[in-house]
Amino acid sequence: MKALQFRRNLPRYAAARLAGGLTPGRGAAAGPLKLTDLDEPAPPGPDWVKVRPRLSGICGSDLATVDGRSARYFEPLVSFPFVPGHEVVGNLDDGSRVVLEPVLGCVSRNLDPTCRPCADGHLGNCEHTSFGDLEPGIQTGSCHDTGGGWATAFTAHPSQLHPVPETLDDEAAVMVEPTACGVHAALAARVPDDGVVAVLGAGTLGLVTLAALRAHASPRTLIATARYPEQRRLAAGLGADHVVAPGELRRAVRRATGSRAIGAPGLGPSSGGRGPTEGIVDRLTGGADVVVDCVGSSASLTDALAIVRPRGRIVLVGMPAEVSLELTPLWHREVTLVGAYTYGTEVLPDGSERRTFDLAADLVADAGLGSLVSATYPLSRYQDALEHAASAGRRGATKIAFDLRDEKERHS
Amino acid sequence: MDHVLDAVARLRVKVTRSGFPWRAAPVPTGVEPPPPSRRLGADYDTSWARRYPARVARAAIVESVMRPTMAALASPDRRGLDRLDDLDGPVVFVANHHSHADTPLLLTSIPDPWRHRVVVGAAADYFFGNRLSGAVSALAIGAVPIERTKVGRRSADLARDLIDEGWSILLYPEGGRSPDGWGQEFRGGAAFLAIRCGVSVVPIHIQGTGRILRKGRTLPRPSRTTLTFGDPLVANEGENARAFAVRLQAAVAALGDEATSNWYEARIRAHAGTSPGLTGPDVGAWRRAWALGDRDRRSRRRRRRWPKL
Amino acid sequence: MTGHLAPRPGFVLDVDRNSPPIVFHHGEGFRLEKLPTERSRVIYPAEPLEGLPDPDGAIRHALEHPIGDSEPLSALLRADMKLTIAFDDISLPLPPMRRPDIRQRVIEAVLDQAAAAGVDDVHLIAALAIHRRMTEDELRHAVGDRVYDAFAPDGRLYNHDAEDPEGMVVLGETPHGEDVQFSRRAAESDLVVYVNINLVSMDGGHKSTATGLSGYTGLRHHHNVHTMQHSRSFMDRENSALHASNWRMGKVIREAGVKIFQIETTVNNDTFGREGPLALLQKREWEWSTRDRMQFLGMKHGLDVMPTRARRKVFSSWQAPYALTSVQAGEVEAVHEVTTANVFRQHLVPVEGQTDVLTMGLPYICPYNVNSIMNPILVMCLGLGYFFNLYKGRPLVREGGVLIMSHPTPWEFHPVHHPSYIDFFEQVLADTTDPVEIEKRYEKQFAEDEWYIHLYRNSYAYHGVHPFYMWYWGSHALQHLGRVVIVGGDPAAVRRMGFQPASTLQDALEIASDVVGPQPTITHIKNPPILMADVT
Repeated sequence: MKALQFRRNLPRYAAARLAGGLTPGRGAAAGPLKLTDLDEPAPPGPDWVKVRPRLSGICGSDLATVDGRSARYFEPLVSFPFVPGHEVVGNLDDGSRVVLEPVLGCVSRNLDPTCRPCADGHLGNCEHTSFGDLEPGIQTGSCHDTGGGWATAFTAHPSQLHPVPETLDDEAAVMVEPTACGVHAALAARVPDDGVVAVLGAGTLGLVTLAALRAHASPRTLIATARYPEQRRLAAGLGADHVVAPGELRRAVRRATGSRAIGAPGLGPSSGGRGPTEGIVDRLTGGADVVVDCVGSSASLTDALAIVRPRGRIVLVGMPAEVSLELTPLWHREVTLVGAYTYGTEVLPDGSERRTFDLAADLVADAGLGSLVSATYPLSRYQDALEHAASAGRRGATKIAFDLRDEKERHS
Repeated sequence: MDHVLDAVARLRVKVTRSGFPWRAAPVPTGVEPPPPSRRLGADYDTSWARRYPARVARAAIVESVMRPTMAALASPDRRGLDRLDDLDGPVVFVANHHSHADTPLLLTSIPDPWRHRVVVGAAADYFFGNRLSGAVSALAIGAVPIERTKVGRRSADLARDLIDEGWSILLYPEGGRSPDGWGQEFRGGAAFLAIRCGVSVVPIHIQGTGRILRKGRTLPRPSRTTLTFGDPLVANEGENARAFAVRLQAAVAALGDEATSNWYEARIRAHAGTSPGLTGPDVGAWRRAWALGDRDRRSRRRRRRWPKL
Repeated sequence: MTGHLAPRPGFVLDVDRNSPPIVFHHGEGFRLEKLPTERSRVIYPAEPLEGLPDPDGAIRHALEHPIGDSEPLSALLRADMKLTIAFDDISLPLPPMRRPDIRQRVIEAVLDQAAAAGVDDVHLIAALAIHRRMTEDELRHAVGDRVYDAFAPDGRLYNHDAEDPEGMVVLGETPHGEDVQFSRRAAESDLVVYVNINLVSMDGGHKSTATGLSGYTGLRHHHNVHTMQHSRSFMDRENSALHASNWRMGKVIREAGVKIFQIETTVNNDTFGREGPLALLQKREWEWSTRDRMQFLGMKHGLDVMPTRARRKVFSSWQAPYALTSVQAGEVEAVHEVTTANVFRQHLVPVEGQTDVLTMGLPYICPYNVNSIMNPILVMCLGLGYFFNLYKGRPLVREGGVLIMSHPTPWEFHPVHHPSYIDFFEQVLADTTDPVEIEKRYEKQFAEDEWYIHLYRNSYAYHGVHPFYMWYWGSHALQHLGRVVIVGGDPAAVRRMGFQPASTLQDALEIASDVVGPQPTITHIKNPPILMADVT
């Protein structure tokens, strides 16, 4: 089987970090990711089935791994070497199409009784991701035993698989996993009716979160930041009322909320912190009810704290790694900062419970999110693919995926 | 080096030993010596001090000695200079007079183009009493001797000639420094000169120099000062020197009022003829001193208060 | 050079092979442009008229010999009266003039008479409508230190506050249903003395008080797209809907019992001085001496290498040696007639026929960026608002013609002075550049934004609605023109405003020929010093 494998190799890891620091995505060429021929992973248990990926997406967290930027936090939660790839639509041996819900919870680890979150359907919060029959790994795509989507085959537990309806093509189906993240975040945002929501970032996550907020909440005003023209167009198309450049965010939220603003010393037009600072918008006195941060950088979190209202809510969707942040506003304004990781089971406003993946599949179909897949690459061009993914926004793209439908090995 | 010293010593010996014509001839005995022809007082000739080298030296003294000294001693607040914007040509500056600090302060305050074309009327008896004092005064402040007791023909002609040559003149019409902090009546000389030459008079009020170096003191003490320049005045048709002098005194008094209150209140009082006079109340010495304290708002100390508990 | 000769009037130069390149203003810098021969002309402003020999005397004379139905000022003053003196704000004159400012001369003369009458209750108000407040330094410069020190410390000299609910009053309605909003202090005074500096013919008259002492409630009736599109031009009062509305409001003010003694002054064209580093800007290129040419080259190269901030500092420190050319006082309308004649005497240049392409070099300053930054919206307002409208008769450029302006147009705003401009640029213009749409969809939100109101009242910010008025100011031009090209501007900022960027004048003329056809006629309006074209 052909696969992109990620090995533990410190020198290469350092090289990736260096290369990725210079040109995002370039870590692929220098780093510990290699295209190799591997044996297909042996099923870890009797129920496990073989999946042959059709399309396999490249996620922001994958890029962080490739460029050596991901947090050391994950080190005990992965098992080397592994094959990345967790946004997958593939075929089972009977030819039917499935999408993968990659989280490896208690059930797939053959743990009984399961942990409390798994019992409640909140797979993403599983407490046992490094125990049980499998080697550590929070998801397929970071676990040695299962393999991952960037290969012509991997193995999955039936509980991880969702059949794809005929009406969804492969491009739409590969968007279900990221969309599920957006849906989960949108519901975690607990948007008050008529609230003002700001979504930071208009990459895949930002865009699907916008769509999910439109579908599952009823904000009065939805403000999105976008850096590039294509992102602006998509964000507006998916339901943002105002799409602004990141530098224009604070003023946009101020206008939308009718808030006042505070300037910071040292920002005045006369240098050295002299002169008046009124009129400069450093932070708002009121602000947005909810800020959904789909970037996860120091800058985006600082923005989020500057524009969220007192007692407002910041939902962190983008994977943050290590950030440096002034937390005084969080304390002083009693802001709630919550993470939103993956998916599981959602309780809808009407009290009903549904699997996030089901909600996501509906949303992908309704909002036409399949069109966010901008380009696909064969595995052999993985370096180009990763570079394209890393510069997607600038190059007018959103989701980059590997197309494995024509790989020779897949049919062997 | 030694030869030089030797040569000098030899020359000195030669000069001291040799007599006339190397030295002045002694007055023969029995001959009445002629009166010394020392041209002092009003007769002191100051024209050398208005030639180019002396002017350059004076400008250097004003800028490098007086200006920093006055900035340190007097921290002057100069007001009303804009009133001179429409003025051209030579003028007569008149000011009240408290102190020797007044002249250096004014010389550093009078704006271009007058600053380097101004002479100062100085008491012939006081400043030109001996050659050294006269020379220093003429060089440093551009002093010209003016008789303060009478209208001397010589000093009047000199002043007129100077104005005709394009020099402006600074005069203290009170005729001397204030003995007690209050002003004195203006004499007619400045007004007479202005009428005779047909030039404008710029009234100036000086406030606070009395505390720096009042009459009778020798050591200056730093204090804040205010100089207020007034609108230029010209004598009305047919106005005599006496009446013009009264008007000048009123103008300086109104400027004093402006310096201690504000311009508009001072204008109201000036129009109503109720500006506080320069010369103070006509009462006993201690009451005059007492009234002076009220007038000078800068000298009022903030009353010390207990902290709020 | 021409000190002893009579000042020469403005004239139109037909560009031929011998014509030198023309100096274009270009923000804080200059461009030398060669215009195509045989089909280009350049309108030169008149040389500065001689100033009055005794300005203070002339002012005193005007106060005692009023025009129209008015008594002399001294007869209107009583000790127990309430007197308000309102004066033009920082937007006049441009650039700020050397001390003493005309306002100081006039206000001192007025106050001296008030002092003679013993008037105690005097207020002085900077009639800035919804402009930014003036700083202490700026007020001191305008009224002089004596007046400032006498009135400001106890709050009797202050900036007009159009958003003070207690301080404003609606005096009535015009027959056209326009609310006449006015400063309460002025309305309740026994006499309002208005001290004006009339730089261009738009200023003065009833606009001084009806606009200067008003607020959004009153202004919205004439500062709107409809009025501006029907002011042809707003520099020509007789054909200006803007002025018609102000005149209607003036009548309501008068009928409400507000007695106004209007003092209007005009200045000459001595914007850059007869000598000094900028003097060559008011000389005709072929009359430049060797020294002028060297000076220009040195200045241009020096400016080119200077950082923007330093350049701005150099230019904003320039104070014009304007001289007073006339002063008249009395009843508003009668006074303004004489004032306008005096303004026209300096500014009007007869021009025959319209042109296909109008070019202009925009200078570093407009009425709303004194001691500030000329942001893109102000560039639009100066070019399409002020300069385009400096005509009498018909516009210099034909309908459907092209306007080419030269200005660096940086995407840069003064956050203290122009906070709402930033939002206008980021939000409103990103959405639409059509003044009608803008007015309909956004004006109210900006005008009533609490934060802008707070900044206008307490900081030094233009009111939230002010950028809208800037855009409306250009609405007649937007309607009239086929295309607007900005030479040397920041392309992103230029495109945001719906204009086309060009890097050189040649490129701009290429772009223009797409609209007006090949070999178009070109007219360059060489302004400032200010000129107004009398187009026949």
